[in-house]
Amino acid sequence: MRATVRYLLATALSVGAAGPQSADLHGTARAGAGLAPDAVVWLDAPNAPAAAARRIVLDQRNLNFSPHVLAVRVGTTVDFPNNDRVFHNVFSFRDGKRFDLGMYPVGALKQVIFDQPGLSRIFCNIHPNMAAYVLAVDSPYFALSDADGAFTIASVPPGSYTYHAWRAGATELTGTWTSTPGQPLTVSWP
Amino acid sequence: MKTIVAAASLACVIHASVAYAQSVTAEATAHAGHSTSTEEVSVAGAQLRAFGDAVSGVRFFAEAALAKSSDEDGDSDAFGAAYPYAGRVQVIEAYAERMFRPRNGLLSIRAGRYRTPFGISSGSEQGYVGFLRAPLIRYDGYYALSNNFLEHGADVVVGVPKLTLEASVGAPDEVGTAVRRSDVDSVVRLQGFHGPFIVGVSRIWTMPYQDPRFSSGRAVFTGIDLRWMYEGIALRGEWLTGKPFDGTTTTGWYVDVIVHRVRMGPVTAVARVERTDYDVPARPSRDLHATRQTLGARIRIIEGLSAQVNVLHQSGLPNYGDTALDVGVTYSIRRDLRRH
Repeated sequence: MRATVRYLLATALSVGAAGPQSADLHGTARAGAGLAPDAVVWLDAPNAPAAAARRIVLDQRNLNFSPHVLAVRVGTTVDFPNNDRVFHNVFSFRDGKRFDLGMYPVGALKQVIFDQPGLSRIFCNIHPNMAAYVLAVDSPYFALSDADGAFTIASVPPGSYTYHAWRAGATELTGTWTSTPGQPLTVSWP
Repeated sequence: MKTIVAAASLACVIHASVAYAQSVTAEATAHAGHSTSTEEVSVAGAQLRAFGDAVSGVRFFAEAALAKSSDEDGDSDAFGAAYPYAGRVQVIEAYAERMFRPRNGLLSIRAGRYRTPFGISSGSEQGYVGFLRAPLIRYDGYYALSNNFLEHGADVVVGVPKLTLEASVGAPDEVGTAVRRSDVDSVVRLQGFHGPFIVGVSRIWTMPYQDPRFSSGRAVFTGIDLRWMYEGIALRGEWLTGKPFDGTTTTGWYVDVIVHRVRMGPVTAVARVERTDYDVPARPSRDLHATRQTLGARIRIIEGLSAQVNVLHQSGLPNYGDTALDVGVTYSIRRDLRRH
């Protein structure tokens, strides 16, 4: 009963926060003539309300980081569990959030709070082929494109926005987008 | 032994699976190297490996290697960090494993062919981290253990992440020049993890790899290994003692450091000091007392391509010079074959 009341209250609050006219923004990321999976698209929203603390998992499993690209809002805590029997090390030295979680065994978990916007390149110094990206954005309106390049940014209030798009190995795209019902956003790298 | 492997395999596939992202990855690594010393050894080789999710929560790992050395007799340990140079295709590891996570606990079962789980034993921790030779106590010819030792059997890890117990029962299934005599052998390993420290204690009961005409009894070793890592500095070490066969003892250790700090860019620096003492009380002339110091670096040139350089000083190794310069290059690529 208590859980049901909490759920209804949370649902009502989240609807209220999104606003009655908010709508999902659907779009496609393209690169040249092809689609662009694992692209991050976000809208600038300096006045967006602060988000509740969130935790997201970036798994280490089968000698891979999974997912390969992770987009989070600034302030998000990312869990890095080791689900392989071999040791892993997680570090980011190059840019974005800089950290080194040391070496840890199967079953263990370490965490990083991504408290500044930026791109962090994640590696394991024991397995040089393991790599991942964590992109922290200072906006609640962001999405990651799927294998078909499609993305959906949920509950975007009406208005005009500056959008940004990033994908590995390409320059960041920037443009403006004004909400129009049913109008998709297409981001294209040459 | 077949019964043990079959039972462990069955345990891997029963029980309902947990939903995970399914992935299968293929990886290929090619390397070449040259050692300049009294040894003058050149090598080239490649490994192909595939790993990922099979069915019902079962994961697999399979690896094959083909490598050739100009050192036809296999006397030199140059470039022998984790793979053999047999001049033919060899299966290195090939196993299936299943992991269960009851509450905060951990149970993992593995069956097949895998590296002998004594001390710091995984291929990824011995090969391509920056050292081009195995530690003296972990190479074929120095009367201790070898990174080329493999088990054909079953292995279980049980515990919680902070403290695990591993037990392996199998038969020797080597790929190097040191080939243990066939019999049931077993390894137990207790591992603790706290903060930046990981400590393990291992014990192995196995068969000697030396000629049976002068080596009798079983080989038994006990070892302690330690890892510590903080802010890009990894310190590791192993110490072991035991008997390679009746009437002999081997005691040895190594300590190494792998440094990759923020401002080092593509360079990882490595250093190792080590010693091994093999004693034959009845025939002291056969003793081996060897030391080695290694300084080196691994340099990432472009994605997937790296170079390794090691400078060694050693003593007590018959037929080898006091110094050596090992240079190697490695190229590695990987592809995700399936991910959903």
